[in-house]
Amino acid sequence: MRDRLEALCRDGIAAVAEAQSADALQDVEVQLLGRNGALTAQLKGLGKLSAEERPAAGKLANEVKQTLQKALEDRRAAIEKAELEEDLAGRGVDPTMPGAPMPVGGVHPVMAVARELEDLFGSMGYVVWDGPEIETEAHNFDNLNIPGDHPARESHDTIWMEDTPEDGRLCLRTHTSPVQVRALKQFGAPLRVVAPGRVFRQEAQDATHEHTFHQMEGLVVDKGIGVPHMLHAMNSMLEGIFGRKLETRLRPGFFPFVEPGFELDARCPFCKQGCKVCKGTTWIELMPGGLVHPNVLCAAGVDPETYSGFAFGLGLSRMAMLRYGIHDIRWMMSGDLRFLEQFSA
Amino acid sequence: MKISLNWVGDYVDISDLSAEKIAELLSLHTAEVEGIESFGEGIRDVVVGHVVQCGQHPAADKLSLTMVEYGGEEPVPVVCGAPNVREGQKIAFAPVGSKLPGDLKIKKAKLRGEVSRGMICSERELEISEEHDGILELHQDAPVGERLIDFLGMKDSVLELDNKSLTHRPDLWGHYGFARELSVILNRPLSPLDLDVAWPRQEGSWKISLSDIEGCPQYGATEIDLGGIPGQAPTWMRNRLQAVEQRPVNDIVDITNYVLLEIGQPTHAFDASTLRGHAIEVRAAQEGESFTTLDEVERKLESDDLVISDGERAVALAGVMGGLDTEVTHNTTRILLESAVFHGTRIRRTAQRLALRSEASTRFEKSLDPAYTQQATARFCKLLLDIRPAAKVLSAPQVEGHSVAPEIVLQLDPVRTSELLGIEMDRPAMTGILENLGFSVEDQGQELAVTVPSWRATKDVSLAIDLVEEIGRIHGYNRIQAKPLNAPVAVPVQQPLRLLGRKLLARLVQSHGAFETQSYSFLDNNWADSLGLGRQDFVCIANPVHSEVELMRRDPIPSLLEQAVGNLRENPAGRLCELAKGYEPIAGELQPRERCWLAVVEWAGKDTPREGYESLFARLRGVSQDLMRSLDLLDKLRTSPVQPETPMPTWAHPVQSLEYHVGETLLGRSCRVHPRLQAAMEFDRADVGVLLLDLEALAKVAEQAEPKFHEPSKFPGIKVDIALALPEAVPYDEVVGAIRKFGGKFLDSLELFDVYTGPGLEEGQRSLAFRSLLRSPERTLSDKEERKFLKKMEQVAIELGGNLRS
Repeated sequence: MRDRLEALCRDGIAAVAEAQSADALQDVEVQLLGRNGALTAQLKGLGKLSAEERPAAGKLANEVKQTLQKALEDRRAAIEKAELEEDLAGRGVDPTMPGAPMPVGGVHPVMAVARELEDLFGSMGYVVWDGPEIETEAHNFDNLNIPGDHPARESHDTIWMEDTPEDGRLCLRTHTSPVQVRALKQFGAPLRVVAPGRVFRQEAQDATHEHTFHQMEGLVVDKGIGVPHMLHAMNSMLEGIFGRKLETRLRPGFFPFVEPGFELDARCPFCKQGCKVCKGTTWIELMPGGLVHPNVLCAAGVDPETYSGFAFGLGLSRMAMLRYGIHDIRWMMSGDLRFLEQFSA
Repeated sequence: MKISLNWVGDYVDISDLSAEKIAELLSLHTAEVEGIESFGEGIRDVVVGHVVQCGQHPAADKLSLTMVEYGGEEPVPVVCGAPNVREGQKIAFAPVGSKLPGDLKIKKAKLRGEVSRGMICSERELEISEEHDGILELHQDAPVGERLIDFLGMKDSVLELDNKSLTHRPDLWGHYGFARELSVILNRPLSPLDLDVAWPRQEGSWKISLSDIEGCPQYGATEIDLGGIPGQAPTWMRNRLQAVEQRPVNDIVDITNYVLLEIGQPTHAFDASTLRGHAIEVRAAQEGESFTTLDEVERKLESDDLVISDGERAVALAGVMGGLDTEVTHNTTRILLESAVFHGTRIRRTAQRLALRSEASTRFEKSLDPAYTQQATARFCKLLLDIRPAAKVLSAPQVEGHSVAPEIVLQLDPVRTSELLGIEMDRPAMTGILENLGFSVEDQGQELAVTVPSWRATKDVSLAIDLVEEIGRIHGYNRIQAKPLNAPVAVPVQQPLRLLGRKLLARLVQSHGAFETQSYSFLDNNWADSLGLGRQDFVCIANPVHSEVELMRRDPIPSLLEQAVGNLRENPAGRLCELAKGYEPIAGELQPRERCWLAVVEWAGKDTPREGYESLFARLRGVSQDLMRSLDLLDKLRTSPVQPETPMPTWAHPVQSLEYHVGETLLGRSCRVHPRLQAAMEFDRADVGVLLLDLEALAKVAEQAEPKFHEPSKFPGIKVDIALALPEAVPYDEVVGAIRKFGGKFLDSLELFDVYTGPGLEEGQRSLAFRSLLRSPERTLSDKEERKFLKKMEQVAIELGGNLRS
């Protein structure tokens, strides 16, 4: 009995030492100490021994069990340590392998600019409002103080709809400005609103001209509104687009629906001493605007003696071109994935 | 429009200011200056030379061999080919190392064996005129070695103004207007125009009649004896015309151009001897009347056009261009000078229709001050008599009709003016600015009564707010400080459709790898047929950007399909989406209905399965479901194949099409694109599917969605995999419906994980394998419930004509 236990112990230790993995060690443990293992089989033999022999044999069996358990534990710790070292050594690992493909999409650059500005103006209490793209002549021109014989109304500038009565002609809106009067009619004064959207011109396409593009109109009407408020709104907008304060200057500009009318120039964000974008002048013309013409307020049913307001227009397509360095506007409506893929969500 | 600063300097002192500074002042206070040019810059190296010797070239008959002295150094040998070169001449000389226009660099050369160290120039080589018959001969007084541009007084700076920023300012279409602006901006005196002419007592004898008073309310004519035939205008005048790119012709024509460019008023000189009737009639053209303008093109006229007739025939297209038969020629000795008021819009329409926009028509269309007509006549005569002392004005100007600018008096509130501009300015300062600009101001205590000068009263200044602009711009907009608005009026209203669109689009882009695009609102006319619709179903364009592209789209699918086709070569698979409007004519309504759509188009290579749950069609259903889930509508969503009686868009595959409903509201559909359309669009290497959702319908049902939290069960569930072998004709939706219906209350989730046909199944059968989860919120379930569930499933399978596979 003693011999067998000692042999079991010796063989067991050898088997443990030979186990090379956690799984192999597990198998060895089951063979030695498991319910049907070698030691259990020996223990079953204890009952056949005499009463004198039994305590010593029992003690020995217990010692063997403890020895084996200790050997197993040590071996397990050694294997785990070796496995950890193996993992950390990183053999066969190429950490420069590419990332797994994930679904990727992107927003259209013009829409990205539009939505950022919607959020910016929304946070300043502006309503974001929409108007129809097929617009009445009254809304697109008359209400905006654009005279009946103004060249902009002619068919080489404006896209007109077929079969409409002479006194109710429809066109594709040539600017987002009609929303000024529409929003004022809807909400009355005081009001602050921005209106992003698609506009259309009868225009031959080239790198800088498109018949379909996007604008954003801004309008504020309240008591005591003046040029300083307009300037602040315009500056905020540019800060939103370019992510920093730009030096700006106001100069005269003419648009029938504002008086006085302005052009806002900003210091070219791309250079210090003149570049292609600013045509060497260090200023780029960014945004027209002005105080809302009294005739426009009247058309919207707002009393110009009580209220005043400002309006501005922003070429969203142009802003996106400036921001991302897109030199040909025709990409915008191309749907070409090689273009769209470059703009993240 | 180009402005010569020498010319402006005749009327206001700007000699101490650089061209850059003046450009900036005008940009900031008046109108946009787009560029600055230096006139004469191209010939800055050319100097006055003296031909000290001139002889025959020994080896060439037509060449002369000269010695030219040009200051300081020794005379140099120059070979010259001009027939008029002579000894003793003063000439324009380009020495070695100098540059001439056209990037021509003068180098030492050998011509037929003789060295030549420079070039004696013709007017054409100097770009002074087209003259190239010989060299330019200078006056004998010309100082040798002086720069030619200094000797000829050519040095000038020219500003290029943006015409668009001048459209509302009829007073700024001549140099004098800019002189006035600068005098006010700089607060310096403005010299008057020299209009000092001693008119003869003799009255004119021409019979002038105006039969189209709207078109021409006033016509002035003055007969002048030129005292000889036309000659060349003086150098100073030719320089100025050239500086602003007006080609000199002869002194008579040049003076009319000079007056036009100075005052802004076009005049026209007829050769009086060619006018047959001793009469002038201004009338509407006859429909179809033809007329040859002085550019020798025969024009077909319409009744809206305005012509000048001599009683027998048309002699000018009023305000646009004179006639070929009656223009001033080199033989003309007597002229009739026209200075008239024409209707701006009619002149513009004529010029535009005939593609004949001239300097004159550009000005007339701005509605000029009628008072300019008298000034222009006087200025013409003054200049003519100065240049040609032998000329004689034969009669005082004859004026038929009467036109004046409206007299406008405006009430200006100085307090409000300050408030609107955001500047502190007192009444005298405002009055000062307005008076400098030519307004007259009367202080009435509270308000200022301001009378508008005639040159600003034709259409430019008509309201008090226009005066606010005048004060603001002269004061300087750049001096206004930005100021934020007061606190928001209220929580801003939002358009639900816009929010919904943004939300769904973000989901498509961020979770489903779609790229947002923008596509055109127009459709090719052929699409009407392809879509099974007629022209009357579309809003149509009267003047399309491209012919045959006259339809406004009803939904964005066709435009997106076109973009998908465009992508095929570079991208064999992709997914585009767009938030877009569609336009539908509504009977009895003026404005069409504009519907907001969310559209997705997806294309993939031919190896993508056409059917089954890995197909493009199934993917789009997955996308739809996820979008509905993001709106908490998944529980209520009803997805169904299209019923045979439902009208379908022609782009949809008749079977691989699904409609999405919540309640009775149709939200949209997804489908494979009809194979016929796919073939017609040359989608030969790919398969295409679309998803189209109606945002308005979605917004309506999304408003009623009530997201609710369900407490997860604390007890473990039992996973049971089942596979039902069923006839292929039984739709998946029906199978799932039956499982859900009979699965009992413990059936928690059900997920398809395999579809199989093939060995082990009967012909025409397919196996649908589901992973189901049974779970109770109250207890741990036992084998008993699992067995019961399997039994139910077996019944379901049998009901549906198949069996439960083990």
